[in-house]
Amino acid sequence: MAKGLDIGTMNIICAENEGEDVVFTQERNAFLELDSSDLTNMMLDSAKVLYIEKDDKISVLGEDAFNFATIFGKETRRPMRFGIISPKEKDAIPMIKLIVDRVLGDPGYQNEALCISSPADPIDLDMNTLYHKKMTEALTKKMSYDTKVIDEGLAVVYSELADSNFTGLGISIGAGLTNVTLAYMATPVLSFSIGRGGDWIDEQVSNATGLPKDHACVTKEKGFRLGSEVEIGGPEGALTIYYDALMTYVIQNLNKKLAEITPPNVKFPVAVAGGSSNPPGFSKMFEKKLKEANLQIDISNINIATDPLYSVSRGCLIAARTQEGEEMGRNKNADDILQEIEEIGEGEE
Amino acid sequence: MDKYNIDEDSLGILRRGTSLYYAGSVIFAAGIVLLIVGVAFIIMSQIHYGSEPGKIILSVIFMGGGASLVLTGTNLMMKQTKYGYYITAAGTILALLALAIFSSIYPQGWYYPTVSYVLAMYIVGILALLGNGFANVVLWIISSKSETATRSSQENYTVHNDESIQRDIEEAVQSSIQQSSSELKFKDQNFGNVRLGKAFNESRGKTTRVKDDMNEADKLKRTTSGNKVKSGSSEVDKISSQLREAMENQTAEKGVIEKIKDRFDKYF
Ligand SMILES: Nc1ncnc2c1ncn2[C@@H]1O[C@H](COP(=O)(O)OP(=O)(O)OP(=O)(O)O)[C@@H](O)[C@H]1O
Ligand SMILES: [Mg+2]
Repeated sequence: MAKGLDIGTMNIICAENEGEDVVFTQERNAFLELDSSDLTNMMLDSAKVLYIEKDDKISVLGEDAFNFATIFGKETRRPMRFGIISPKEKDAIPMIKLIVDRVLGDPGYQNEALCISSPADPIDLDMNTLYHKKMTEALTKKMSYDTKVIDEGLAVVYSELADSNFTGLGISIGAGLTNVTLAYMATPVLSFSIGRGGDWIDEQVSNATGLPKDHACVTKEKGFRLGSEVEIGGPEGALTIYYDALMTYVIQNLNKKLAEITPPNVKFPVAVAGGSSNPPGFSKMFEKKLKEANLQIDISNINIATDPLYSVSRGCLIAARTQEGEEMGRNKNADDILQEIEEIGEGEE
Repeated sequence: MDKYNIDEDSLGILRRGTSLYYAGSVIFAAGIVLLIVGVAFIIMSQIHYGSEPGKIILSVIFMGGGASLVLTGTNLMMKQTKYGYYITAAGTILALLALAIFSSIYPQGWYYPTVSYVLAMYIVGILALLGNGFANVVLWIISSKSETATRSSQENYTVHNDESIQRDIEEAVQSSIQQSSSELKFKDQNFGNVRLGKAFNESRGKTTRVKDDMNEADKLKRTTSGNKVKSGSSEVDKISSQLREAMENQTAEKGVIEKIKDRFDKYF
């Protein structure tokens, strides 16, 4: 079979088929370094904690890193920042490798098709994604996968916009970045990212209210809802304000980029995914802002993915399965192709 | 939007500067004025076969000159191949020369065979102007047809301004960098003496199971049928073909004489 892998700033998620189901395996992209005197291996092993021991340091990986961070009053370290391998974190690559190894597992067979997502170059940060792309590609190829890389926004298009023949705007609002791809018939017309996402919100809220970032993040993820009414004071008010600012910023930049191209003259549906599009009320607020913005393209409808967190990895899985199918069934007969063309033609109307 | 500017930018073989356009429209207007004056003059002085030679010469100059100026103006207002300008000039000179000869020899020298020479000269001049204009229109239609054809099959990027060409070049360069490094071999990094905790071997992490038939995969296969799955900004083929197209347009501007020759050989 094939697998899809979303290597995100906050979550690394693998999608694969199992019978009639899709199974998502996820792990937090974070770790925490502790002195090995603090804890014994036995304790960690029996608690099924994910950790490694190197020299006399213990690093706890994934979700557990957060739990230990609160216990020990430390901050977790993150191998990635703004969607790519963090240049500031010297242990970034080994940590990502460990988490990817575990989440992805071994291939079912040599050269199993794998598709991984990568951010597109951001338009507002001086940053290039090539190194990240190549490193993640190399890591997985080393594991005997046949790896392809696609843009994160395109993965959202694959996962959410099949009904419009993979034509539309795919937006993934993650932790480090917001990725956008405008696709026409499954072909990307425009792909870029914007250097803001959930992390930016946490940071701003933390700056504004004095709460620690992690606290702001927990408030955001647990029971916060977006509405037009803002409570004065408290983290919820700040969260609403910065969500509003994030959306405005994303839509402005989107419009600016759209002005640079000549898109096909059709109506584009919009699909939004990524963990940061989770809060209740997000869809209503985003839709309102998008309609007010007078975009350079015609928008038909706006939808939030059924499962925003998993949409990118699911899109990658779709791409991987297509790629695998390509390789196995190269020889189609003329009738099949004719039928396909007809169907595509119908869908186009 | 520059989408509608196609004829200005992308038709390499037909060209015209703006100043020529204005000169053309002035000449055209002058021709019209001459024609109107000529008609008015003919009506007012009730020209007939036996009218005074002076009046006949004047009305012929008004009408004949007006007609040739109108045609010259139209030609200059159209986009031309380079030969087109020579033809326009030659046609105008022939027609005006014929008129000049006529006015200087009429009526004494106005007899066979001079009459037929001068008349032929004028007619050839006018026909050259007419023919050139017609040829241009045809050429323009053919070129804009082929333009729409590429547009519908290519959908985007058919209009290349400096910016989009620049962007295409950048993208192609970038994707070729990506392509080239995909040939690289990566060696395993030595992480030192690392011991993995037990949990590494026990599970693969938190899992979520969703019922999902994933029919998108088949649909995607059909949508991209034949092509490979497009891989975002690293999709080399498309971008390099865009680049090639952009480059071709540029060379079309440069080697315009060759292109015109080709086009002319093909169509005329
Ligand atoms: N229920 C929720 N409400 C609000 N925000 C949430 C929720 N769940 C997750 N998030 C936020 O979503 C972000 C993580 O989303 P996601 O996993 O899509 O990002 P990522 O893919 O890791 O990052 P990136 O794509 O930027 O590299 C985090 O900022 C997290 O705080
Ligand atoms: Mg993501």
